[in-house]
Amino acid sequence: MRRSTPEIALSLGVLVLGVGVSIGTLLLPGEGGYARIGPNFMPAVVGGGLVVVGAWLLYEALAGGWRQRDDDLPAARGEHPFHAPAFLWVSMGLFAHMALIGTAGFVIAGGVLFACVARGFGSQRPTRDVALGFALALGAFLFFVKFLNVSLPGGWLALVFGAAGI
Amino acid sequence: MGELLASLGTGFGVALQPANLLWGFIGVTLGTFVGVLPGVGPALTVAMLLPLTVKLDPTGALIMFAGIYYGAMFGGSTTTILLNTPGESASIATALEGNRMAKAGRAGPALATSAVGSFVAGTIATLLLTLLAPLVVEAALKFGPAEYFALMVFAFTTVSAVLGASTVRGLAALFVGLFLGLIGIDSQTGQTRFAFGVPELLDGVDVVVLAVGLFAVGETLYVAAYSSRMPETLEKLKGSMWMSRDDWRRSAPAWLRATFIGFPFGSIPAGGAEIPTFLSYALEKKLAKHPEEFGNGAIEGVAGPEAANNAAATGTLVPLLTLGIPTSATAAILLSAFQNYGIQPGPLLFQTQGALVWGLIASLYVGNVILLVLNLPLIGIWVRVLAIPRPLLYGGILLFATLGAYSLHQSWVDLATLYVFGLLGFAMRRWDIPVAPAIIGLILGPLAETQFRRALAISEGDASVFFTQPISATLLALAVAAVLGPWLWRRFRSARA
Repeated sequence: MRRSTPEIALSLGVLVLGVGVSIGTLLLPGEGGYARIGPNFMPAVVGGGLVVVGAWLLYEALAGGWRQRDDDLPAARGEHPFHAPAFLWVSMGLFAHMALIGTAGFVIAGGVLFACVARGFGSQRPTRDVALGFALALGAFLFFVKFLNVSLPGGWLALVFGAAGI
Repeated sequence: MGELLASLGTGFGVALQPANLLWGFIGVTLGTFVGVLPGVGPALTVAMLLPLTVKLDPTGALIMFAGIYYGAMFGGSTTTILLNTPGESASIATALEGNRMAKAGRAGPALATSAVGSFVAGTIATLLLTLLAPLVVEAALKFGPAEYFALMVFAFTTVSAVLGASTVRGLAALFVGLFLGLIGIDSQTGQTRFAFGVPELLDGVDVVVLAVGLFAVGETLYVAAYSSRMPETLEKLKGSMWMSRDDWRRSAPAWLRATFIGFPFGSIPAGGAEIPTFLSYALEKKLAKHPEEFGNGAIEGVAGPEAANNAAATGTLVPLLTLGIPTSATAAILLSAFQNYGIQPGPLLFQTQGALVWGLIASLYVGNVILLVLNLPLIGIWVRVLAIPRPLLYGGILLFATLGAYSLHQSWVDLATLYVFGLLGFAMRRWDIPVAPAIIGLILGPLAETQFRRALAISEGDASVFFTQPISATLLALAVAAVLGPWLWRRFRSARA
């Protein structure tokens, strides 16, 4: 019997989401007027559905594992085992991007994101990655701001852009 | 018939305007360029390129999207054949034979049969769409809210339960999508639901953010964690680029058979191109004079699935345009592109915006031609795109993926949402949970809720309307059968054994 902790955790996640939605439904008004169907009807259906599906998944996970799964071993999937640094570098890049975009602006945040992701995929040339990332982000910035009139934050470079007449 | 030709004539009048032709060209080129990138399937391509069209008029934008869609599908085939990394499940069958052909030095004919096959299947399927759409529209005009609701429930169950390995995992994805669709302001009463006081959530979850999060961020996290350290072999283009007489003789029947397998699967609300590609593969293997070639690079095994994939993709436009019901992830994103312009596809659209709809359909014919004349000559460029080192490739993908999400509200909250969806996409990919039902649930859930309430408002709260009207009752019965059928069938079989 194969029993997988992630499967159990994911099943519980669905179940807990269902319970949460059901509780949230109780806080919504039921008054729907004419049709007698208020804004709490659909949430009740969805909450109930999530609970049923979560329980079903949990049952499968506990009784021999989820059905019709491919082999879980990395080699059988043509993969290597979980590479934590790679996952963390990509995640860090996205967090840095979130933190920087409002202050430092689109171009700097994008350059940092690009370099972090490249590092996560095993690149050993940070200087080149940062330079390429900035160039690509700058290109995208100019295209969207000048050509498509989509506003993106200039951030710390706003003064430079202003001086250059952008 | 005369009316149909007149409509189509109007459509070509729109599609062949120089500006729209230009958007078609740009769409096909961009779609192919992005679609070639490994790990980027058609749905993600369309989602990532959506921000580019904000300033276009609806007709031009939708024509560009048709081009992007077709280009992305062809680009994906190129990657599958040369790199053996199918960007979507519908390309797996192509990978079986196409990559073997490339390894044997026959990448040229494999790409050619894929391109010509896509053209043949795309054109025939567009013709079928042209003929079928007015008939469906005529029937759909008689549909009331109860029928629409039943149709949507049917689409939910087929998309999540019938396709894929596991009914329950498909339903889990569907309900998560339906939950995401609840977030924001209820369109009927103005009541805020599940927004937790976050202003960015009041507009609801954007389909593009979900799609880009699941596909781009999730995929990047997944590839980084599980295959960024695997060696990668890109097959070279060598030998003849063109198909021999024998290749033509073997490909042509496969294209035609596959078209008629793929189109129905796409057009009934049981979308997804995965099943028809495998059916076509199995059929070609069975009919082949040299079945032993299968597994070693049989050209029929590329020609069939590629044509089936394209025909099914065109087929999904039937329910999308005539009923407003998306049956694949890509169709769901196209629907959100329509909604961005305040356009709701459906039978009324054919009456109110005839020029737009028929212009779009006509541009599908044009797009197929552009694809054929553009792609084979430019294949050398697309191959070079494939040679971009992975660290730079995925850096670029995430740079553009985040741009689309950020431009919604200029807020980091959307980027945080994107990351959460990325984690979700990672988990779904890792533990074999399908993604399409979640995307379809998000966009179709609110529409189903609206139809449900309308139906009950008309019947003054009497829920029996769903079961007393024949169309609605049949569709709901089919929906129940789709969920319970496989389970009952297994019980029945094990009881007999």
